[in-house]
Amino acid sequence: MSPDPGVLAAFAEPHDAARAIRALREGGFDDVRAAMPAPYPEVLAAVGKPRSFMAFASLPGAAVGVCAGLALTIGTSLAWQLVTGGKPVVSMPPFVVISFELAILAGAISTLGALVGAGAWGGRRREFPRDPRFAVAGVGVYAAGGDPERAAEILRACGAVEVDDVQ
Amino acid sequence: MSPNPRPSPTRLERAVLAMHGRPGPGYLLLLALCGGLAAWGAYAFYRLFTQGLQLTGLGRPVGWGNLICNFVFWVGIAHCGTLISAILFLFRARFRTAVYRVAEMMTVFAVMTAGLFPVFHLGRPWLAYWLMPYPNQRGLWINFRSPLVWDVFAVSTYLTVSVVFLLVGAAPDAAALRDATTGLRRRLYALLAFGWRGTDEQWRHYTRAYLFLAGFATPLVVSVHSVVSWDFAVSLLPGWHSSLFPPYFVAGAILSGVAMVITILVPLRRAFHLEDIITPHHLDMLSRLVVLTSLIVGYAYLTEFGLALPQPASDPERATFLYRATGHYAPFFWTMVTCNCVLPLLLLARRVRRAAWALVAVCVLINVGMWLERWVIIVTSLSHDRLPFAWRTYAPRWPEWALTFGALGWFFLLFLVGLKVLPPISIAEMKEAQAHAAAPSGTGTLAVEVSHVA
Repeated sequence: MSPDPGVLAAFAEPHDAARAIRALREGGFDDVRAAMPAPYPEVLAAVGKPRSFMAFASLPGAAVGVCAGLALTIGTSLAWQLVTGGKPVVSMPPFVVISFELAILAGAISTLGALVGAGAWGGRRREFPRDPRFAVAGVGVYAAGGDPERAAEILRACGAVEVDDVQ
Repeated sequence: MSPNPRPSPTRLERAVLAMHGRPGPGYLLLLALCGGLAAWGAYAFYRLFTQGLQLTGLGRPVGWGNLICNFVFWVGIAHCGTLISAILFLFRARFRTAVYRVAEMMTVFAVMTAGLFPVFHLGRPWLAYWLMPYPNQRGLWINFRSPLVWDVFAVSTYLTVSVVFLLVGAAPDAAALRDATTGLRRRLYALLAFGWRGTDEQWRHYTRAYLFLAGFATPLVVSVHSVVSWDFAVSLLPGWHSSLFPPYFVAGAILSGVAMVITILVPLRRAFHLEDIITPHHLDMLSRLVVLTSLIVGYAYLTEFGLALPQPASDPERATFLYRATGHYAPFFWTMVTCNCVLPLLLLARRVRRAAWALVAVCVLINVGMWLERWVIIVTSLSHDRLPFAWRTYAPRWPEWALTFGALGWFFLLFLVGLKVLPPISIAEMKEAQAHAAAPSGTGTLAVEVSHVA
């Protein structure tokens, strides 16, 4: 899948890239994307996307873990009723330990699954031109759609080291 | 802009690629040494497998010895990785950036080592799967009220979450290395990168997911060693039955873990010329953690004695603690106190903290002390319990020592192999810190060479 036509610029510094993204958005470019080797907060803030939905994967995962832990411990204790030390067959304090561990386990695995899924889905939805330099250094800013000449002008004015059209 | 130009690696990528390069004779020698130790341990396990626990020094009343000491010791070593990567991440402690990947690797390999010991100790290791709940024809289920079953769940969860945390953290770094290399290495890094391309969309989810994973790992790190301490604390044995155990064990685990991280980091930075990445500041901050946790451990030792000694002379708790300090195993006890409470105080001196090899010497001795701590807790209590006619001393035999040193070899073997596969420095986080350190007022340049990031 190739990205939408647009203009790709390379920046040496994250704050220049952030400035360029803001300028592009103010100039009417709605679809501005970035790629970088580190999570520069100023660039992520400038792109202006809403907060990630990860919490909606992590917390239900943890809740499923709690329920699975309680079901496993209570269910198996009732299925094989072994009294030890005169304690109740269904003893909640030790069962909380198992439920807690399974909550952490399921929460972590669901977070991982959501991260992998979101990365793959996001990559397809908002394709970025393949340029391995941005995994190593600098920041890539891509203005998809709109007037390419106007975008290139804004990007150069904000300190882009290199600007190129992507068809 | 040229299509898909191959980027030239920065200092950080070069440092990691140098570590992943062709191994030198020193590396191969260490690998052979660790492999030899691990093979000795494997041979001892074979002998235990075929002839049973009769080969060990275990018996009545000391049914737990070296093998369980090793389990607790390695779970403790594993704790530091999560402390440095997750807890210090949540506290925004910047010094963790350069060192946390090594600590995370150490965590995973230490849990993999710890998990072997309960299996060795089973006597019939081929029945280890009985520890897991699974439907069977007899309708039997495991006893969830047993702390040994809690251990199974706690340690396996800890291993899984630690592996997830390590791999998620390493994905952006693997992508940077993938894009700076060719051939087989490129394929390996591509596998570890999980399709990472560093887009804003990926980072947006990644930063949030990493935060949640750190949030999950933080209570986990406290719970795992608490659960391990309950193996002892929920029994009625004098010297074990104490509500002090969970915080005492967690502090001890962090002490031994940080000491092990320093023990590994100092030779690593020397061997791979990482002095500009892992700076004296990083070692200094880790040393302070050692001092802090050593003081907590010392306080726990004092509290144990402070609670036991005022009891009447007939009290078994009092007798056990007096036995620890003055009985058959007293030399081990006092070595433990010296290594864990006295020697770390040397690190209060800035000169010792900044002298890398003095620091390593102190940290190695701390780990000797922490291993002895587990030995003192387990063996003195069992050998001297409530029934004087059953008192008996315990001495480990060769298979137990072979497994103890074999585990050391196995751990370092895994670590040496891991160094050649995983990026031992967090390139992405270092770059973020570097960019913001280089341009505090928004006018600086994005330095590609690492300077004093700390």
